[in-house]
Amino acid sequence: MTTASNPASESRRAARTARRASGPAFAVGPDVTPDGTTAETVPAIAAGVDTPAGRGRGPSERNRPLWMLIPGGLLMVIVIIVPLLLGIYMSLLDLDQYTLRQWIEAPFIAFANYVEAVTSTNLFHGVWLSVSYSFISTIIAMPIGIAAAVATQNAFKGRAVVRSVFLIPYVLPSFVVATVWRTMFQPGGIVEHGFKFFGADPGLFLNGPNTYWTLIFVQIWASWPFIYLLALAGLQSVDHEVHEASALDGALWWTKLRYVVFPYLKGPVSLAFIIGMLNHINNFTLPFVLFGIPAPHDVELLPVLTYVTSFQSFRFGLSAAMAVVSLILIAIPLFVYLRAVKLDDAETPGGRK
Amino acid sequence: MSTATATSNARVPAAVERPGSHQQAEVTRLLPTWLLVVVIAAIALFVLLPLTYIFLASINSDISVARGDFWPAVFTPDNYANIWSSVGLANGLTNSIIVAGSTALVSAALSIGTAYVLVRYQFFGRLTIMRGLLALQSVPGTLLVLPVFVLFSSSATYLGIQVIGTRWGLFITYLTFALPFSTWVMVTYLRGLPRELEEAARIDGASSFGILTKIILPLSWPGIIVSGIFAFLLGWNDVLFASVMTNPESQTAAVALQIFATSTEGGAIPYYGQMMASALVCAAPVVFLYLFFQKYLVGGLTAGGVK
Repeated sequence: MTTASNPASESRRAARTARRASGPAFAVGPDVTPDGTTAETVPAIAAGVDTPAGRGRGPSERNRPLWMLIPGGLLMVIVIIVPLLLGIYMSLLDLDQYTLRQWIEAPFIAFANYVEAVTSTNLFHGVWLSVSYSFISTIIAMPIGIAAAVATQNAFKGRAVVRSVFLIPYVLPSFVVATVWRTMFQPGGIVEHGFKFFGADPGLFLNGPNTYWTLIFVQIWASWPFIYLLALAGLQSVDHEVHEASALDGALWWTKLRYVVFPYLKGPVSLAFIIGMLNHINNFTLPFVLFGIPAPHDVELLPVLTYVTSFQSFRFGLSAAMAVVSLILIAIPLFVYLRAVKLDDAETPGGRK
Repeated sequence: MSTATATSNARVPAAVERPGSHQQAEVTRLLPTWLLVVVIAAIALFVLLPLTYIFLASINSDISVARGDFWPAVFTPDNYANIWSSVGLANGLTNSIIVAGSTALVSAALSIGTAYVLVRYQFFGRLTIMRGLLALQSVPGTLLVLPVFVLFSSSATYLGIQVIGTRWGLFITYLTFALPFSTWVMVTYLRGLPRELEEAARIDGASSFGILTKIILPLSWPGIIVSGIFAFLLGWNDVLFASVMTNPESQTAAVALQIFATSTEGGAIPYYGQMMASALVCAAPVVFLYLFFQKYLVGGLTAGGVK
């Protein structure tokens, strides 16, 4: 989307930065507020950007239309932040279908819900399933996504069609993916027929121990194109000179891929891995629609367990405690993600403000 | 495809001078032809085989699907005719279109203002807000669904406003969950716009709001389309909130399909054909949107990073 490698605009930016740097006459004015400096300076230095040149001058600090933040900000506070805090508070209450109506007066029981969740529910089982399923499905999707990206990188006739087809599983809504695979995995259904054709008897897919692998398979089918997309982005950053150099060295295709091209993919693909983990740990729709409620024991993932505890057992306080655990669970990949992602445009010092 | 550069720039150290489109094919070639064919054929099969089967099943009889036939025993369009009465799909699709469509419009409109301020102005807490936008996308829905439900029910008890069971409840919820993502997509887009036009307009005495509507808005259509479509998809794809907060009148297509699937499986032979037909009908708007705006969307997917 942003095409940053435009030489003309690059030089204009440089000129503007220089102009700012050499023009301290505009710097001090009564309307220049010293806010944001601490928040800004540290990442700026980390990114190697010459901050003082870009700060405190120009129109950006006067007449800031900060009111434009209000509508979106207000909504997010009401529908996300407040419920988030409320959810954490509810996890400390003895809340069931009898006390829900007057939830404010529900008895405060501190950490009893957490104790119960740990000692007498399948919480750890759910946590383990969620994490392991997310990990396995993301790991297996990676070679598929990378192979697809490498195969569609060079132009050939019909490449546009192939690329569109590859993305279809990803754009299909989760509930559609789950519904159609549920039908295909029915006892006596098409998948079982396929196995029997090769002389194998796989047993049930939607019940019993196979469910875990059914879920992983469907998750891979639905989400590998995301890895593919980010791998494609990585491949496009491979320099033409790099190709020429490896051709001059007479590198074989495999050596070239392994030592020249794959290093370019490390960043994008790691990012895809983290985001994939985040999405899969939070994924409710796929297991919910694929296996229904109550879920088989082997796919009682944390989101499903939380949902069942709320809307089947009506133990709302206990469910809120489980949900808080899932919040803690995603905090780790989320932290890595926030560290990795580019918050600001380091290449445009003028754009930092 | 310049679409993916937003992400690649972040992690690839060197700013890349891309050569023109006339690359020498042999130099940039990554795989030998035989392997290329094998990889593409294998993955295309992996993707297309299930899709083909779904389509064939949707024009097949239920018994034939239950038996596990790949090739239909009969070819009948009946399933596509019946779903409108049996699944309640017409009602569901109408609700989905109204809720997801208005979510898309409002979230795109709100996110451009927010993103513009975040990109072009410096103020205290700006980076915190940007981090917050990313973090909020990852808050588990299962944590929020109960408190949101309780809050909305309380509004009926204390304020006399009925939110649960109406499309308004879903609209507000989806709008809020769409906003962090839409705003982030707009932030990555607006960053790429040159500032010169705005500066010129400012010298001419334009207000910030004037600059936003007269300069930024006309330049931002690709970003607006992407952020609107993602908001639409969020509303269209949700099952969690819709399953809790709707009644039969306000249920979305996703919930209608889910309820139909669970109820029909109680019978002797479930209505597989109708299930597949409705699944395809529910997927169709999304797939068409995607194919139509593919050029913009692929870049947006990698920039925003979260489905």
